[in-house]
Amino acid sequence: MAASEHIVGRGIGNKLILFSVILVAIMWMLPIAWTLLLSFKPNSELMISTASAFHPPYTIKNYTDIFQSSGVFRWLWNSAVVSIGVTVGILVLSSLAGYGFARAEFKGRDIIFVLVLLGLAVPEQAVIIARHQMFSDLKMHNTYPAIILPGLSSAFGVFLMTQYFKAIPKDIDEAAMLDNASRFKIFWKVLLPLTIPAQATLGIFSFLGAWNDYLWPLISATKPEMFTITVGMASTQTNFAQSEGLGFLMAQAIFAGLPVFIVYLFFQKYIVRAVAGAAIN
Amino acid sequence: MQVSSIELDSVSKRFGSVEVISELSLTIHSGEFIAFLGPSGCGKSTLLRMIAGLESVDGGEIRIGGERVDRLPPGARGVAMVFQHYALYPHMTVFDNLAFGLRNIGTAEDEIARRIEEAARILEISHLLKRKPGQLSGGQRQRVAIGRALVKDPKAYLFDEPLSNLDAALRVRTRVELARLHQQTRATTIFVTHDQVEAMTLASRIVVMNARKVEQVGTPMEIYGRPATEFVARFVGSPAMNFLPVQVNDRGGLASAVLGDGSIIDTHVPVAALPGGDLRVGVRAEAIRVRPDGALPGKVEVVERLGDRTHLHIRLMDGSTLVAEDTGISQVQPGDAVRLAVEGATAHLFDAGGLAYHARQ
Repeated sequence: MAASEHIVGRGIGNKLILFSVILVAIMWMLPIAWTLLLSFKPNSELMISTASAFHPPYTIKNYTDIFQSSGVFRWLWNSAVVSIGVTVGILVLSSLAGYGFARAEFKGRDIIFVLVLLGLAVPEQAVIIARHQMFSDLKMHNTYPAIILPGLSSAFGVFLMTQYFKAIPKDIDEAAMLDNASRFKIFWKVLLPLTIPAQATLGIFSFLGAWNDYLWPLISATKPEMFTITVGMASTQTNFAQSEGLGFLMAQAIFAGLPVFIVYLFFQKYIVRAVAGAAIN
Repeated sequence: MQVSSIELDSVSKRFGSVEVISELSLTIHSGEFIAFLGPSGCGKSTLLRMIAGLESVDGGEIRIGGERVDRLPPGARGVAMVFQHYALYPHMTVFDNLAFGLRNIGTAEDEIARRIEEAARILEISHLLKRKPGQLSGGQRQRVAIGRALVKDPKAYLFDEPLSNLDAALRVRTRVELARLHQQTRATTIFVTHDQVEAMTLASRIVVMNARKVEQVGTPMEIYGRPATEFVARFVGSPAMNFLPVQVNDRGGLASAVLGDGSIIDTHVPVAALPGGDLRVGVRAEAIRVRPDGALPGKVEVVERLGDRTHLHIRLMDGSTLVAEDTGISQVQPGDAVRLAVEGATAHLFDAGGLAYHARQ
């Protein structure tokens, strides 16, 4: 009897959680649905009222216009270059640094590791003026390296990979040493493949973070042809109603979101695992 | 097949200010199966790792097959090691686990395949070659770990407590298989364990270690029958040897041990060899039997029935306790008053420093 009451109680609890999750999902999805709906409306109608969104006429002109006139493709390309560059860079550097902190023995290792972790506590805004000045002195603004390089110093990535390498039993390294493997071979062929789950987590977070980054690309890229998608989209909003039209803007937003959507579709399993893992850790 | 001797010449090891191995010398003969036996922290694994090259050597020399190896990296020493936790590469198939070391030294693929096939046949893991370690049971993983050593045809095999992660039944089975494997290969083998049964059953010689030094090196029966120190006598054998304080009288040149209650155990230990000071007699349980005409009276406190024999925990009249052995069908019950006959010929005497004195051989 007590057991069945407990199960009933748990059922109600589960339903409550499910209801809350659906509510939150609706809150997130409504703006996207609204954007999608408006993107299929003629701009002339939206100039009068957005209430017309719920009834015809609908059009795909806003999307065809993207292919003809917009800078969206260039910005998408820039975002792809920057995001892939940042992701690959973070994975390479964090793996090497993580392996170093976890396995190599050198003087001051622990102090340097603490200094790296301090990077987690320093907000980007605190260093952005100095960083801007530095890249300005180097005459690097409006280049890919300028947008990519600051993103490579991922304290989180180094920390994550260090912890992951530490969790791999040292027996494995030693077995490989007895198997005549060089240090690099042990890293590359034995240990690195074991960190793939961590690499997937770090890679997904890094890619999404770089794709959605706004502040640094906004500061560093001042020429429209070097805008990333976030900066480019924001730049069109300043005069959307007069020049480009709300529907066109919404179509661009949907289009700009497609790559992330595709990434999500492919890596859904890993993203859920990564988020769950981050929550547990 | 390569078979090599291993010589340790005054080897020392320090971790910071703690000396974990001090001036240790030992020769392991070619083809010998030797066990390093001792409790946790005695330095036995450290010594094995020094031979493997996984720990540096702070003093002395290590030679394998006559060649000095203590400055060589692990892979260049020609030894193979089986780890306690298997240390298989989780992302590689069993085949690739076995092939990894051979590929690293540029062995031809057809030779690799031949060696793996041979090792897999011996270890009965041929059907597992395409699986990954995560898909194997503990026993299967252990076989793969042994296979990884086997394919290398090393100068010596080093086993670091390889059976301690297996359940009791599998441990016994694997033990027998290791003994069989050694009979087949006749390879020089060092086996680190804290389990005296493993050491006794597998090794041709045992090195008993305690507190970072060697207590005794000998055949299993020497270790069991003539333990060099009190530590060895207590550590090897189950139940542990009984120790009772005694006074010693001279009985025709042999020591007659007088217990606290006045009972006498006539040992075969020569009196002349004994030092002055406190002495204790050491007797194994199987040398103490319940007999109506026994000289030693006592009261049974606990009866442990093991099937083939029974251990009786007995309190003597002076308050000291000992363990005696009786037959499996013993009728003795807790609380019974019994008389014990001690086989003096197998008794040993130990001085205050724990050194043993035995009967003449």
